[in-house]
Amino acid sequence: MDLENTKAQMRKGILEYCILSVLSRSSCYASDIIKELKEAEVIVVEGTLYPLLTRQKNAGLLSYRWEESQQGPPRKYYELTDAGRTYLTDLDKSWKELVDSVNLIRTR
Amino acid sequence: MDKTININIAGTLFQIDDEAYRILRDYLQAINNRFKNVQGGHETIDDIEYRIAEIFQSQKGLAGAISKENVEAMITIIGKPGDFDHYEQETSAPTYATQRKRMYRNPDDSIISGVCGGIGAYLNSDPVLFRILFVISAFFGIGFFVYIALWIALPAANSDPKRRDMYGDAYNSVRSQTLQADGTYTTSYQTTSKLGNAFNEIFRAIGKVFYVIFRIFLIIIGISFVLIGFLTILSFVMVFLFKFPGVFSHDGINVHLSYYTDFLSYIVNPSSAPWIIALTLIAIFLPMLALIYWGVKMIFWFKARDGIFSLTGLVLWVLSLSALAIILFNEGISFAETGRTSSQNILTSTPDTIFIITDHKASDQKYDKEFSLPDEDYSLYMSDSTRQLFMPARLCLNIAEQSQVKLEIQKSSCGRTRSDAVKKAELIIYNSRISNDTIFLDDFFTLPAGSKWRADFLTVNLFVPANTVLYFDRQSRNLFHNEINIGKFKDNEEVSSKYDEDTQPWDLADKFWVISENGLKESEKTSLKPK
Repeated sequence: MDLENTKAQMRKGILEYCILSVLSRSSCYASDIIKELKEAEVIVVEGTLYPLLTRQKNAGLLSYRWEESQQGPPRKYYELTDAGRTYLTDLDKSWKELVDSVNLIRTR
Repeated sequence: MDKTININIAGTLFQIDDEAYRILRDYLQAINNRFKNVQGGHETIDDIEYRIAEIFQSQKGLAGAISKENVEAMITIIGKPGDFDHYEQETSAPTYATQRKRMYRNPDDSIISGVCGGIGAYLNSDPVLFRILFVISAFFGIGFFVYIALWIALPAANSDPKRRDMYGDAYNSVRSQTLQADGTYTTSYQTTSKLGNAFNEIFRAIGKVFYVIFRIFLIIIGISFVLIGFLTILSFVMVFLFKFPGVFSHDGINVHLSYYTDFLSYIVNPSSAPWIIALTLIAIFLPMLALIYWGVKMIFWFKARDGIFSLTGLVLWVLSLSALAIILFNEGISFAETGRTSSQNILTSTPDTIFIITDHKASDQKYDKEFSLPDEDYSLYMSDSTRQLFMPARLCLNIAEQSQVKLEIQKSSCGRTRSDAVKKAELIIYNSRISNDTIFLDDFFTLPAGSKWRADFLTVNLFVPANTVLYFDRQSRNLFHNEINIGKFKDNEEVSSKYDEDTQPWDLADKFWVISENGLKESEKTSLKPK
């Protein structure tokens, strides 16, 4: 078994949840989300994030508006939609259930 | 130092040295390959390009060329496409395979409707060429119709997926986004024309003229459609609902169209008469309503989602026509066979002069409506209270070989079978009597109350020797239907039948006439006295 691969698989499942969680605290730029996720070591390279944002936006979970930046090109400023909030609540619940299940098995 | 290249990433200009440029180009190509066949992939590619510009800017500011190290640092941050985790749902990704193109009208590159712009985008060539082609061929007439056909047949590329289908691989190169003051982006699509705008201005002018002519043409057709539809419906409503035949009664012979509906109840099963009327109205009104709708659409030039509506109308129309056909066929069987009966009466004496007197007259009967059959010279009188029909009897004059005077009454009717028809014919009621030298004839016959009309006819054949003198009273002209026919018989078979050109039925009244093969001649004998 490849440890890195298993870790990548684990991350994969929770990445969408993490993005929504970051945005639930405050609306922010893609680079802010990246910063947080990198600090938490959930992602290694930034390129992983962009297709996910596009997908979540197309699914109606996120919306964005363009913001001028002091230097450089305009940036997308993301925020959760109502549908995104509901979706996140459901994910919160299933995350808790998942953690409980894993703990139950590990402490037996 | 290598030479530097100016590049534009996400709207920002950068200087980049040659080696760095090649690495960046390969990297962008790899990103593009990775995402181009993924749902929303183009947006992701754009996002990554913005991020690349952002990173370069944080590294360098706007001064200095981007080096190989800068590019490699950027790639480490964003990651190689192979390092991206796969999150796409494989099944839901539509693929925009290369060269899969469809022909559309291109509203972003149009003079009239974008047909030529669409052809240009489809064939990856200059729309101006097709515009020239269409204008030239329009002079021969063909181009005009081909253009209209394409206009109707081709859908407009008015959404991004359709544009992508239309431009194919060229999509990204014609598309350009401009940032507006309010922070939103407007997307525009360059024309694929390379011959420039001067040409297009000329075509825009020609196009406007063409469009105006076309609109006037459509408006004229539209107005005539509306008028035809409206007048047809109006006339049907006037004639059948308000019994106001107006223009439909023509020169003297009053064809009482309005009473068709009333007459119908004397022909068919009373329960199916309203159905026939309703279905006929649907069969006529639906196409007329459609005509009015199309006309209004042409005049005001609007688009409507009327597909379901039109289809429902068409189905309804076909159904009502079929139902009408079935009912009419079923009723029509009652007219399948014709049957005849006849009875004869021979006068005991053979007088020189025979008086023909009209006894009962149809016009004296109690009737509500008079209805003329257009072709048959045959007027029906309907009595709605007794449900009875009165029809005109017909008198035919014949010259017989024998010296006796004979009166033959021939009745005919229709039915499902021959015997049915004969039975029907026998039911015809007709009054005639003979008293010495006088024959009393009714000018009409009737059917038992409540009977249906089955194309009933009644003919009175009077056989007299040649040169007999005949007297007709004033009303007897009703017994002739606008003309006098004289038949000649030998051995009980008709050998000739001649139409008397000189004598008209209305001349006969209260006068004595001598009958011969050639017609009726007024008698010179003045001693005779009218009755």
